[in-house]
Amino acid sequence: MEEKKEILGETYEPGKPTEPYNWRKKIKGRDEMLRYLAASERYWYSKEWFGSEKRKNPA
Amino acid sequence: MSEKSADNSMGPLIDKAKADKAEICWDRLDEQSPQCGFGKLGICCRICAMGPCRIDPFGEEADCGVCGATADTIAARNFARMIAGGAAAHSDHGRAVAELFIAAAQGKAPGYEIKDEQKLLQVAMDFGIPVENRTIRDIALDIGKTALSQFGQQEGELLFVKKAPLKRQAVWKENGVTPRGIDREIVEVMHRTHMGVDQDHRNVLLQGTRCALADGWGGSMIGTELQDILFGAPVPVIGKVNLGVLKEDEVNIIIHGHEPLLSEMIVNVAQDKEMLEYAKTKGAKGINLAGICCTANELLMRRGIPIAGNFLQQELAIVTGAVEAMVVDVQCLMQSLPIVAQCYHTQIITTSPKAKIPGAIHIEFSERDAPGSAKEIVRRAIDNFPRRKGKPNIPKEQMDLIAGFSHETINYLLGGKFRGSYRPLNENIINGRIRGVAGVVGCNNPKVPHDELHVAMVKELIKNDVLVLQTGCAAIACAKAGLLLPEAAKQYAGSGLAEVCEAVGIPPVIHMGSCVDNSRILIAAAAMVKEGGLGDDISDLPVAGAAPEWMSEKAISIGHYFVASGVFTVFGVTWPTLGSQALTKTLFEEYEQTFRGKWAFEPDPVKAAKMMIEHIDKKRKALGIDKARERVLFDMQKRRELGS
Ligand code: SF4
Repeated sequence: MEEKKEILGETYEPGKPTEPYNWRKKIKGRDEMLRYLAASERYWYSKEWFGSEKRKNPA
Repeated sequence: MSEKSADNSMGPLIDKAKADKAEICWDRLDEQSPQCGFGKLGICCRICAMGPCRIDPFGEEADCGVCGATADTIAARNFARMIAGGAAAHSDHGRAVAELFIAAAQGKAPGYEIKDEQKLLQVAMDFGIPVENRTIRDIALDIGKTALSQFGQQEGELLFVKKAPLKRQAVWKENGVTPRGIDREIVEVMHRTHMGVDQDHRNVLLQGTRCALADGWGGSMIGTELQDILFGAPVPVIGKVNLGVLKEDEVNIIIHGHEPLLSEMIVNVAQDKEMLEYAKTKGAKGINLAGICCTANELLMRRGIPIAGNFLQQELAIVTGAVEAMVVDVQCLMQSLPIVAQCYHTQIITTSPKAKIPGAIHIEFSERDAPGSAKEIVRRAIDNFPRRKGKPNIPKEQMDLIAGFSHETINYLLGGKFRGSYRPLNENIINGRIRGVAGVVGCNNPKVPHDELHVAMVKELIKNDVLVLQTGCAAIACAKAGLLLPEAAKQYAGSGLAEVCEAVGIPPVIHMGSCVDNSRILIAAAAMVKEGGLGDDISDLPVAGAAPEWMSEKAISIGHYFVASGVFTVFGVTWPTLGSQALTKTLFEEYEQTFRGKWAFEPDPVKAAKMMIEHIDKKRKALGIDKARERVLFDMQKRRELGS
């Protein structure tokens, strides 16, 4: 049987932006910044995630 | 279209330069031709007074220099010195940023402040600097001092090396090339390539490798990361590119070079009300800033300042007759600029004590009074506006582009605020919509048609569903061709890549910044590995790199740190070790065994793209994801059939 594939839909707002999309401003205050880094830049700043270097049986 | 350039703005200006008797680089290339064949092959040596020596590539005459050095040794020394030159350029840029950074943290650099606290915290963690209950200034001071210490460090490892995948770090350790200190590795190349020192081409190259890594994972990365803290990590921004961004009725100031330290201040001053009023008193409607080369990329990425052009457009920007001042900092500056400027009214202003040019005006950048220097420069440009010699000749060509794709932004766009991630990229590589990722970077070179090779290579890659990451003059070339817009996905990309680009709202060609920002590509590659599903090392990823129009030592250093980081990298134009079969074999074959990355040379950009795709497919097969792509293409075909 063929594998089921997720069909991607548009995830962005339509139209041409005129201003920079400054997403960094959405993350306010040091605590939130540190939380963001631990979650989103977890490859370097968190021990709690599973990636190529955190597998049970490393290749 | 001129045979010299794929960019339509260039032909008429090249003709105009001729009519105005302004000698430009293509004229000088003609005068230099035929160029020295020994030099081209990398087998001439002039590092001692017993020489200069040259090796006969046909084996009929001299097979070694007066000292006994063979073609292999001579070519390896020359190649390693190219790496050292490139690494020195990037790293000295990084050092200048670190010095300004410290001054800003100490409050001794008026006009500069820490703009990106989040990036500050990030780099503090990279450096092991505590952040809890500490002020921004205290953390910044520690970061600046730690960054600066990386240059003079004698033992141990550079701190950013830890950001590489663990397996990659192990490869470097096994081969004894983990960089200890940035300056140390550059100095050791110079020592070992002095007459009568290291005469084993493999051993010379190993030190060249350590030096290149000290650039990519050291000096360049320090430059990028500290600039991000000072000026803000790039976020998506719309910009304009090509000489058409110059304005007939405004004071045009071009900022050219690589270090954005003073030019960031010029941007502020040029928007100053007082300056705008002053410009009006001279008959100008405003002040228009535009960039050339990597200073342009830096200002575009962070401020949305338009780009007038890439390396080979620096002289022609002056030929338009519309440029009041060209402000230069360091690197890739043609010495001919003041000579070309004599035919027009443009003032060439040097600003770095490290880069003066005869015939230019020197206004030195001092961190203690950057706003003062910036004001003096802008004022001079305004004063020069009434001195234009007749109506300027500004080409109409200009193009929109989207830039600002730092690693942080890519991670955010793919994953969102709560959990930034490379997962969607990896998944789309695994499921085959995206075949692989290619970095296409580097310079222009008048030996090949300007921009043509970049554009041809990138079009071939995206047509085959390869997502392209770009920096430097390569990014500017493709931006001018309209490839850095989301719409380009529909027009030029294969259906799988186009589908992903449309879903995420990104172009198929991603602008990641200046030449030092190739370090962002290293980090992106490390993130792809760490996310999982695509192997354990950069060398497992279906990725490749290229510089089809390269010319500088910096490009060789960049290429070599990508190879040493596990990336198949192909250069065009010419290859500087062809006079030594053994060295070329080491770079093109043996490095695949030792570093799991290798060099290749292919002047035809489409053939080179095919080599990259072949490599990407080889990696997909090794990962066991080659079948998924066949399925996804089959699905797409079916969907299209249903839709028709
Ligand atoms: S180092 Fe050797 S090959 Fe080079 S110039 Fe001197 S004698 Fe000639």
